[in-house]
Amino acid sequence: MGEPAKTPEVIIPTLERVDRDGALLEALDAAVGRTRAEFLRRAAMGSAALLGALAAPATAAGAPPGKKRDTAILNYGLAFEYLQAGFYTEAEQLGTIREMSQEQALWARTLGAHERAHVRILKKVLGRSAVGKPSFNYRGVTEDPDHFTQTAVAMEDLTVALLLGQAPRISDRGIRAALFSLLTVEARHAAWARHIIGVRPIGPALDRPKTLQGVDRVVRSTHFIVSRPRTSRSASPRFTG
Amino acid sequence: MSKTNAAPAPASRQQATRAVFLAKGALAGGVLATGVLWLGGRTGRAAQAPSRAQDERIFNFALGLEYLQAGFYAHAVEQGALSGELLEFAKTVGEQEREHVAYLRDRLGTAAREEPELDFGDLGADADRFARAAFVLEESGVAAYIGQGANLTVEAVRAAAPIVAVEARHAAWISDLVGRVPAPRAADAAGTAAQVQAALEAAGFTYPG
Repeated sequence: MGEPAKTPEVIIPTLERVDRDGALLEALDAAVGRTRAEFLRRAAMGSAALLGALAAPATAAGAPPGKKRDTAILNYGLAFEYLQAGFYTEAEQLGTIREMSQEQALWARTLGAHERAHVRILKKVLGRSAVGKPSFNYRGVTEDPDHFTQTAVAMEDLTVALLLGQAPRISDRGIRAALFSLLTVEARHAAWARHIIGVRPIGPALDRPKTLQGVDRVVRSTHFIVSRPRTSRSASPRFTG
Repeated sequence: MSKTNAAPAPASRQQATRAVFLAKGALAGGVLATGVLWLGGRTGRAAQAPSRAQDERIFNFALGLEYLQAGFYAHAVEQGALSGELLEFAKTVGEQEREHVAYLRDRLGTAAREEPELDFGDLGADADRFARAAFVLEESGVAAYIGQGANLTVEAVRAAAPIVAVEARHAAWISDLVGRVPAPRAADAAGTAAQVQAALEAAGFTYPG
């Protein structure tokens, strides 16, 4: 797989490295514009830069407010929920969760169930406009309980930042409001995950958006992208998670 | 007030135990509860048209909750009955609630309600009572913000979202500390203002009205 030698520190993948078929890039592109999408994919998943960028108020990039943009944003959310759901499901399938303590296994299984439920929710709202299930490569992180858990913390924070940044951009206020109830759950996930790894469950007083200036880019040299099947719109993908 | 689904934070009649998580509840409840909020219609039933004036009323309602939280945690720390992680919770979260108070006051400007006189009785007198009360307080905050989401203007949503996420983290932490699942549902429930106030009163608080 060409992974570098193991260091004591967990190497949390960038989105680019897990985005096997370019589905995340496509979804990001539609929601926030190509330039920002490219940047977001390269930043380290748990990094302040990425979180700040995701949570920051949108610029002129992307479509004007309306149903089309709502769809793009919800598909962006759906792509991330697929990312998370797949992550937990794979860990379950590989037996990694079985290796965990009872408490940690409950945490992992509960979050997996929630993320799969989030996929179903967003698919239902999007109907025929929903993107198909992407293909991700989790770079071995799902094979080890500790790596998995640390990456989960990063991923949950990521999703909170994403929802914070995008919820205000949704023009349908019912959907906008409903995203609050997913945002709070992702935030709970993040706090719970931190508690599991023994750090304080909370961060700053306000999950405040930051600017794009002074960011720190971590560019991974290798990534694995397979061209995406074009059948995503017509077929209703069976989610086997 | 908009009609919303489901009850908010459970009232104190539910005994919080120190038992480790309720495995079945976490998974079963989570999946089943998801459909309600989302399938109930896109714009919700009778959700009130957003306006600046309404944002103000809602933010003042939220400010009342934040005053209650900030005040309760400061009071509990003073009482001296807390130790260990519960004390850390009261101190750290209390500080954050004070920041939330400042944030909402700043946004409301001259329209901000004044800090009320608060009396917590013996809610902070011992660790168990504190923990149960704090749990209701945090869960009420989450339910209240979600309950008002559809009534807010876009600008208000943008302003409120950073607080909402943090309240949810608080709720997860205190849930853990009282032996409950930190994330019991796949989608969190909304609470109307009336429901939130009722839950607080059942727990022994008086919402500063």
